[in-house]
Amino acid sequence: MGIARMNKVYLLAHQADKEHVLSALQQSGLLEISDITGTEEAEGWVKSLARDQEQEALQELEGKLAEVRFNLDFLNRYHPVKKGLLDDFLAEKKSITAGEMERLAAGWADISSKVFAAIKTIDEKLLQIRNEETHLQNLQQQLLPWRRLPVPLEQLQSTPAVTIELFALPVNSADKFRSELAETGAAYALEQVEYLRGEIYFVLVAHHSDAETVRNVLKRFDYVKHTFPELTGLPEELLAGVEEDLHKLAAKQEVVRQNIAELAQYREQLLYYLDYLTVLREKRQAMENLGRTASTFVLEGWIREADVKKLKHLLADVSDSVAVMVREPEPGEAFPVLLENKPLFAPFEFVTKLYGAPSPYGVDPTAAFTPFFVIFFGIALTDAAYGLVLSLVAVLGLMKIKGENMRRLLKIIFACGLSTVVFGWLIGGWLGFQVLGAPLYFDSPSDPMRLLVYSLGLGNIDIFWGMKLKLIHLVRQRQYFAAFADVILWYGLIIGLLLLIVPAAATFGKYLAIISAVGLILTQGRAQGSIMKKFFSGVLSLYNITGYLSDILSYSRLLALGLATGVVSLTVNTMAGLLKGHPIGYVAMLIIMAGGHVFNLAINALGAFIHSSRLQYIEFYNQFYEGGGKHFNPFRIQTRHIEIRPDGLQHK
Amino acid sequence: MLGLESGLILAIIGAAAAVLLAGIGSAIGVGTVGQAAAGVVSEDPDKFGSTLILQALPGTQGIYGLLVGFLILQRIGLIGGSPVSLTVEQGWSFLFAALPIAFGGLVSAIYQGKTAVSGVYLVAKRSEESGKAIIFAVMVETYAVLALLMSIMMLFGIAV
Repeated sequence: MGIARMNKVYLLAHQADKEHVLSALQQSGLLEISDITGTEEAEGWVKSLARDQEQEALQELEGKLAEVRFNLDFLNRYHPVKKGLLDDFLAEKKSITAGEMERLAAGWADISSKVFAAIKTIDEKLLQIRNEETHLQNLQQQLLPWRRLPVPLEQLQSTPAVTIELFALPVNSADKFRSELAETGAAYALEQVEYLRGEIYFVLVAHHSDAETVRNVLKRFDYVKHTFPELTGLPEELLAGVEEDLHKLAAKQEVVRQNIAELAQYREQLLYYLDYLTVLREKRQAMENLGRTASTFVLEGWIREADVKKLKHLLADVSDSVAVMVREPEPGEAFPVLLENKPLFAPFEFVTKLYGAPSPYGVDPTAAFTPFFVIFFGIALTDAAYGLVLSLVAVLGLMKIKGENMRRLLKIIFACGLSTVVFGWLIGGWLGFQVLGAPLYFDSPSDPMRLLVYSLGLGNIDIFWGMKLKLIHLVRQRQYFAAFADVILWYGLIIGLLLLIVPAAATFGKYLAIISAVGLILTQGRAQGSIMKKFFSGVLSLYNITGYLSDILSYSRLLALGLATGVVSLTVNTMAGLLKGHPIGYVAMLIIMAGGHVFNLAINALGAFIHSSRLQYIEFYNQFYEGGGKHFNPFRIQTRHIEIRPDGLQHK
Repeated sequence: MLGLESGLILAIIGAAAAVLLAGIGSAIGVGTVGQAAAGVVSEDPDKFGSTLILQALPGTQGIYGLLVGFLILQRIGLIGGSPVSLTVEQGWSFLFAALPIAFGGLVSAIYQGKTAVSGVYLVAKRSEESGKAIIFAVMVETYAVLALLMSIMMLFGIAV
């Protein structure tokens, strides 16, 4: 268990079998394909290979993908599906075989191009409607101030005898305008038609001979001239017409909307088609990593050692002429990392992967940190009722949800919930109350020092456990001296110092610590050149004890987080308690209790999860972890809406 | 009866400072993350969940502050009891016990908010790495937790 053993695989086959071989590989999901043209070791013979590129096929696929995505985007914008927060997780994938999918795909392609064509017309119609609508709305705005004008617009044109002006003035300059106009002594008539949004709308009729005078007055003001050169009829009637046109447009829009709703029935098929195309594209992209000659191709990849046989059987079924070469990784050769753990620990790979992949030659920390993670979560939450809720929610989720990653998280939550029940019962409460009497072990809020000591003690064990992993790893690699100097001596020093607190073992502790310290001084500088450098590096290494100390102290957060949950529960209960004694008060009390505890559970469960993770990543990993690996990412079928089952082997 | 004892007043100032300062820090932190998150969600609504978690992180300091404020009120009998009479020394002790979470919470929430904002940008570019963005922000939280721890230890240690 731990990091899976990987083998390197080379496949050599005829071009004619390429499609079938790659389809079989994609359906099996056994192999991670590497880019063969980039490898140095194969240089001698890879040179004679061309990079296998099928640009045209790929581009055609991209085109179809763009079309489906456009269709789906359009439908989502104009006819969105309402979905709940959890629907994404609960969605059932349609399950079909690869062969069925091939048969259905032609139909889906038809639907996609049909929908695309329909959308294009609809889009044009929508644009037209929108333009027309804007035009009408502008007209409406223009006509609105003049709606009380009892004269048809075409009659408001200047004649040889009189000049007619329609204009708007800001209300505060209207009086001044009136008086200045009067002062000119010109022959005119000024009529106020409307007062609207701070502007006064005037009709001014002046005798032709005075037109210039009147205009000169007007120019001194901040006026806006209105003209209706293309309109005829009464403004009132024109407005009614515009209104009617807008109604007609709305009706048109409704029809278009119904057209879109009709298209939305194809959404499901479009989603399937999207999946189908994505799978195809991944296959095409995988082909870019192959090497080719005129009639053969070469594929290089990594496979789990345990799967090699399966791969050979699979390929033998696809074609008689596939040559498979398998070898173990050369010493130091980096291979992709696949974590393998017993079913009990496997869900916690979720936590491991959150941080990254360990080095292929390092240690898989999953199984080692699992018990600590679960215990830490329980102490950080410390409320039995919250634990029950978490476990129940996780069980409900596991009954409904199919997604592998989500299921792993739910299993973790289930285990952590149980742990919370245990620790809540032992040292905490139930929703902040002590319904089952006092906690079984001790009441942590009233004796925090005790929990602090336990937290630090657990931290110490966690860190010793991490050092043990390093020890085992070094022994396995036959670095016995390093195992002794870098782990055993540290154990000795720390245990010796801890024993100083215990009166009966203090003397033994003292000598153990001194001997270990001397050992560390002598060994920790062994990488250095001169004797002096060796000595000083050795002495300096003792300084690492502070790092150890700060690692241990970091576990005090378990106490703080546990108390935080307890005290917030207490706060919620106290606030709710203030309201009792009145019928309405009881209702409010229940609301406060429910809301407060849900909030407390959510925020502190999140805190417990991430702080438990952090204690592993920073403090525990610090002892042994080597990162820098790359996760095993096999060439496989990745879909969101359909589940594709491999269909027998009919390709032969 | 709540008299004008200066000891009691000092303790109440302590409770107020814990809730006030840590709350200000959380408000700033949660606010800034929310702004960044809203921007990202406008581009990709599916990232609501992971950005919401990042936004929630700087909110804990406010809760820690509330927690310390509540504990002080409880110890001095303003909640669930009658006010105890405090000497001026005891009053100062309560006030100072509140300071670690008050200031630790204030500053750590603001900086955790900044870290989480960067985390939101990380999620915007590579949504599969949201776990790492969360861990970066949680590194800052450590100091709020330590401040809380010290405030609580001091509170439990003060004899009334």
